[in-house]
Amino acid sequence: MGKLTLYGFDPSPPVRPVKLALAALQVPYDFIEVNVIKREQLSEEYLKKNPQHTVPMLEDGEACIWDSHAIMAYLVSKYGKDDSLYPKDPLQRAIVDQRLYFESGVVYADAIRRTNTYVFTTKVLPKERLEAIVEVYNLMESFLMKHDYIAGDHLTIADFSLISSISSLVAYVEIDSSKWKKLSAWIKRMEKLPYYSENAIGAEQFIALVKNTNFTVEA
Amino acid sequence: MGKITLYGVDASPPVRACKLTLAALGLPYDFVVVNLMEREHLSEAYLKKNPQHTVPMLEDDGACIWDSHAIICYLVSKYAKDDSLYPKDLLKRAVVDQRLYFESGVVFTNALRSITAPIFMHGIKVVPKERIQAITEVYDFLETFLKDNDYIAGDHLTIADFSVVSTVTSLPVFLEIDAAKYVKLTAWIKRLEKLPYYSENSVGVQQFFGLIKNLGITVEA
Repeated sequence: MGKLTLYGFDPSPPVRPVKLALAALQVPYDFIEVNVIKREQLSEEYLKKNPQHTVPMLEDGEACIWDSHAIMAYLVSKYGKDDSLYPKDPLQRAIVDQRLYFESGVVYADAIRRTNTYVFTTKVLPKERLEAIVEVYNLMESFLMKHDYIAGDHLTIADFSLISSISSLVAYVEIDSSKWKKLSAWIKRMEKLPYYSENAIGAEQFIALVKNTNFTVEA
Repeated sequence: MGKITLYGVDASPPVRACKLTLAALGLPYDFVVVNLMEREHLSEAYLKKNPQHTVPMLEDDGACIWDSHAIICYLVSKYAKDDSLYPKDLLKRAVVDQRLYFESGVVFTNALRSITAPIFMHGIKVVPKERIQAITEVYDFLETFLKDNDYIAGDHLTIADFSVVSTVTSLPVFLEIDAAKYVKLTAWIKRLEKLPYYSENSVGVQQFFGLIKNLGITVEA
């Protein structure tokens, strides 16, 4: 096995799912911090490896892989003892994939990244941003209606991807457990994972960063 | 092989990515129009199949699958004669996957949907300037990805090309692609236009352009 190096920043929501996956797979790796607040992802050296200049990025030997979802799929396929975290059956995989793409678009690109942009620059949040986050919670609730995990009856990398995002979004909208019963139960289920600290620590850091901006919501 | 049904509208870029893939695989299917303007995606029947109420959605032998990227990965995995459109080699696949997630987040959600959602849902008529910057970012990244490759994920055609081209050819209605600045991007689009089944995308692009123009949408100067 070549040397695995994960480049990232703990508060960053997409980095933590990869840490969860690596812990679940019990694969050793080096972690190199790339402080995106200090814009270290724009260094010439980093751009050579990842021209999209995002975190996380995985180096496996000589190969550089980025996008958290692509990284996790790669890790399970290469290092998993079985395929339970990312089923090979085309139909089961299609469900996990849909949840992963839901996370990448609706959750991360829209609910998280666009909201962060307001909060960390103008510090005034348009109300529709909070509505976008509530919509995420509503969709999560519907996905969890009949299943204990986000893509079915057992844990997959989709759970890792989404627990990181959801545990970060609470910085903006709290999850009322009487309104989002299934979502709250799923979060508690994930918090019981023995390696959950791989997400919890960074999530707390993200929430602190958000709260420190003292942002306000447009009336 | 069970019956394949694709639900959607031609104007929608993710629907066209599925149509390109189905054509590339030579798969027969029924197409059911879901009129988004008439809110048909919010009908009880549709919500039962797809609680996220998006298009495209694929029904294959009773199973409902949505999200265009998940659909096209599924189609190749299940029906393709070989893996060239979605390589099984882990590193090659990781590149295709990254391009697909890039399309989902940076291209579709951040560049296109952030503009079209206010237009179609709230009747907004003017596109704010900062949304145009999101499109420039897309064109810049794609030019970089194509620097050493003829196709978006490497040296041959994959489903990532189908996914990206459907959205990227829709964005010019808001910001044209400067052919002098984006040499590789322009060449790649021309390369894909030569695909024998490219009309599966081009017809819908024209419909999308017509839709936007008929609404009298302008871009903030």
